[in-house]
Amino acid sequence: MRRGRLVACVSLLGLFLAALVTSLDYSLTDALGPGPGFFPFWLSLIGAVLTVAMLIEDARSQDATSILPNRQALLQGGAVLVALTVAAALLEPLGFRLTMLLFIPGLLLALGARSPSAILLTAAAGSFGVFHVFYYWLKVPLPIGALGL
Amino acid sequence: MDTFGHLATGLAAAMSLQNLGFALIGCVLGTLVGVLPGLGPAAGTAILIPLTFKLDPVGALIMLSAIYYGAMYGGTITSVLINVPGEAASVITCFDGNQMAKQGRGGTALGIAAIGSFVGGIAATIALIAVAPPLARLALSFGPPEFFALMLVGLALITGLGGRSLLAGLVMAVLGLLIAMVGIDPVRGAPRFTLGIPSLYDGVGFIPVVMGLFGIAEILLTVEKPYRQVIKTKLTSLIPSREEWRRSLGAIGRGTGIGFFLGLIPGVGAIIPTFVAYVVEKRVSKTPERFGQGAIEGVAAPETANNAYANAAMIPLLTLGIPSSPTIAVLMGAFIINGLTPGPFLFKERPDLVWAVIASFMIGNMMLLVLNLPFVGVWARLLHLPYQYVSVGTLLFCIIGAYSLQQSVFDVGVMIACGLIGYCLRKIDLPVAPLVLGLILGPFIEKSLRTSLEMSGGDFSIFATRPLCLGLLVVAVLVLVGSLLRLPPPEVRQSSA
Amino acid sequence: MISRILVTISGAALGLAAATGSAGAQDFPNKPVQLMVAYPAGGSTDVGARIVAAIAEKALGQPIVVVNKGGAGGQVGWTEMVRQRPDGYYIGYINLPATNTVILDPDRKAIFTEKDFTPIINQVLDPGVIWVRADSPYKTVHDLIDGAKKAPNTIRTATTGILSDDHLAILMTEEAAPGAVFRLVHLEGGAAQLKEIMAGNIDAAFDNVGSIMTRVKSGEVRALAVMDDVRSKFLPEVPTMKELGYPTVMSNSTRGIAGPKGMPEPILNKLREVLKQAMDDPEHVGKLESQGLAIKVMVGDEYARYFLDTHAKAKKYTEWAKSRPQR
Repeated sequence: MRRGRLVACVSLLGLFLAALVTSLDYSLTDALGPGPGFFPFWLSLIGAVLTVAMLIEDARSQDATSILPNRQALLQGGAVLVALTVAAALLEPLGFRLTMLLFIPGLLLALGARSPSAILLTAAAGSFGVFHVFYYWLKVPLPIGALGL
Repeated sequence: MDTFGHLATGLAAAMSLQNLGFALIGCVLGTLVGVLPGLGPAAGTAILIPLTFKLDPVGALIMLSAIYYGAMYGGTITSVLINVPGEAASVITCFDGNQMAKQGRGGTALGIAAIGSFVGGIAATIALIAVAPPLARLALSFGPPEFFALMLVGLALITGLGGRSLLAGLVMAVLGLLIAMVGIDPVRGAPRFTLGIPSLYDGVGFIPVVMGLFGIAEILLTVEKPYRQVIKTKLTSLIPSREEWRRSLGAIGRGTGIGFFLGLIPGVGAIIPTFVAYVVEKRVSKTPERFGQGAIEGVAAPETANNAYANAAMIPLLTLGIPSSPTIAVLMGAFIINGLTPGPFLFKERPDLVWAVIASFMIGNMMLLVLNLPFVGVWARLLHLPYQYVSVGTLLFCIIGAYSLQQSVFDVGVMIACGLIGYCLRKIDLPVAPLVLGLILGPFIEKSLRTSLEMSGGDFSIFATRPLCLGLLVVAVLVLVGSLLRLPPPEVRQSSA
Repeated sequence: MISRILVTISGAALGLAAATGSAGAQDFPNKPVQLMVAYPAGGSTDVGARIVAAIAEKALGQPIVVVNKGGAGGQVGWTEMVRQRPDGYYIGYINLPATNTVILDPDRKAIFTEKDFTPIINQVLDPGVIWVRADSPYKTVHDLIDGAKKAPNTIRTATTGILSDDHLAILMTEEAAPGAVFRLVHLEGGAAQLKEIMAGNIDAAFDNVGSIMTRVKSGEVRALAVMDDVRSKFLPEVPTMKELGYPTVMSNSTRGIAGPKGMPEPILNKLREVLKQAMDDPEHVGKLESQGLAIKVMVGDEYARYFLDTHAKAKKYTEWAKSRPQR
């Protein structure tokens, strides 16, 4: 926990400092009062100060519990993230239906689903079924890719 | 004709078989719209407007209004079951609602939400009937300076959510406020912090962020556990226990009041009443550490406030013709297309129409309760499917939701990134709630400050010379001082919301 | 042997390309057409789009799906549109002068210019209007302008957004009446204006006829002037700025449909024909007019010229707006 918190504090500090520097590009005051840079500047400053305080407090803590993800978390959580990212990347080129046709069974299998009929049914419903409902009934556009699907 | 006379005529009209049917269809469609991802009430109502062209004006309005408050309830279902807010206003319900679901009390959560919504809605409608015009005038006295002061009160209330570590809560709140600054600024209309990406010009996108921070993070946390069940315990009784009833009563009462008064103020979005009700409930509770762990008041309060707000927000629309939120603006557009301009004129000239619509609110609220309560068990049981299917279903849901907001893959990407971030935050025990609330309040604060200064020509004394504004500022200071005084000593371990 | 195969393949490929090329125009459309609205669902442009789409898709033979791509005052949607293929399957609304000001504002860093669009057809022309509360001391535009001259920078005047057509219109008015200075308050949309005027936080507002027509009729607000060539058919008793002696103050907001640049002529013609037919349809006219939106159909070159004219005019006032200090 302690190490995790320290890493987080340092990253937050970096973020606040980057925001602080960027906010200087925008004028701090304006003829009427605060300019576009005013709030970002002060917020980043306060944020940075508070993060340093938190850093000090965490450095003193003795919590040695590890928060590193175990093997299962890495594999399964990683599978979820990878699947999501790939799906997002393919969503517009391949279109909704094809992408979901790949995503759904892929992730189901990775997470341990075993029944072929259930997987296929879910894949069909989740890709073509859902598309039909949204696109034709609700008139909510979902992407259609290069292959016309 | 006095008020009760009007109401009686209105009820008679609203209870015609045809209008009852419209209300029913509206409630069903609305709930579906609320459940479906991405399709917020505004978009859903807009899409369904052409449907109403063939209907008579009153019928159309009854249906559209039913869709509106039906959608408020629909969003709750996904918040409780899969920690994905179906729409912005349902975010707060995620905090305790999902925890309850994981403890096997999902049905109870949905049930109390339905009941609270009903009470809030009916109470607001009754108040609407009794005191509409004078109250509406009062709401007009809320201008940009008062709004700014109100937002400061909100900000002061956030400090009450820090939980375990006030410092962590503050850092997260500041982070949320800062992220809210991304986009086109209200001062010059120029992009700020957008890194040259046009998709960021309108800000980071609240819905993708919360879908990620809550929904996706939840899934990532679920898949790392050894057991194959999403819910730890079996589905217990759907009915709240006596103890839970007792606790919810107060929450429902307070939620109604808060939702109602905030609904009268034009410009207050639907989220604000839910978050105020939640924080107030946590404050008055003798055991605030239960919040965030499945406290039933944590569901009852925001849900009641939500519905009280939705019904109360119709008051400025019907009496003054002023829409309180983008969703109501869509409703107003629907009125106008059907040839009726809501406002004092319509109220005076066509009371039969206006009162029929008002009466139908009461009926609609009742219908929602009757429709939703039986299904609560069905919804809750969905969670007992094998976790792979629930997870993949949820992810599908989230992808559609994030994408369909603006037909943008960028939003999906933001959601995924926030999923990872939310996961990390939960692991290291940094509270997510203040972050979300900072994100909500940020734009309001800056914009209302700017508009106030434009009005006064740069004169800051405008905040001190307007009595209501001054009063609110004092309240904000009092709340802040109150939070700091209540700080528990550092050794006391409390859980973060 | 190999060369023969290559020749056959390339011949087939060329033939296929030629066939799809011309078939593209002949069998357009063979799948749904996306109509982009650069604002969130439920807004005035969006509702108008849905009405047109519902009628036009019957004649077109394929669904017309309204796609909302709101954000940054329209910039997000227009950025998306110019990146699409000009094959007629993705068209969208442009709102003038909003589109113009986004291009002209250097801070916005728009990736498109006025040359990146193919204007197809215009739907609505909503003239600008100056209005006050019904019990306001300003009974005519002259009262308002005199007030602005006597006490410069005190009359709180609302727009519907920074660099909106209303904002530019206020600058036009100040230019036409030297010495008149208004205190600008940028609100977000007509509803906010109504609220603040009713609450007494704002003294006067510049907006468009469509937004307040119904309120004028009910007597809640008073329209002082309309910024058009001729009187609005919805507000026939309201004089124009031209009549009142300020002929240069002409402002309006138009909504029309365009596509990315480079759309082939046959597809353009088909779209224009179908959309014009839909816009002339009495149901369309009725629904839009009930909201106070004046239909002004401009097709083809007429619309293209209008686009460029608006652009030139907006340039001057946008530069002025960006350069003057926020008072």
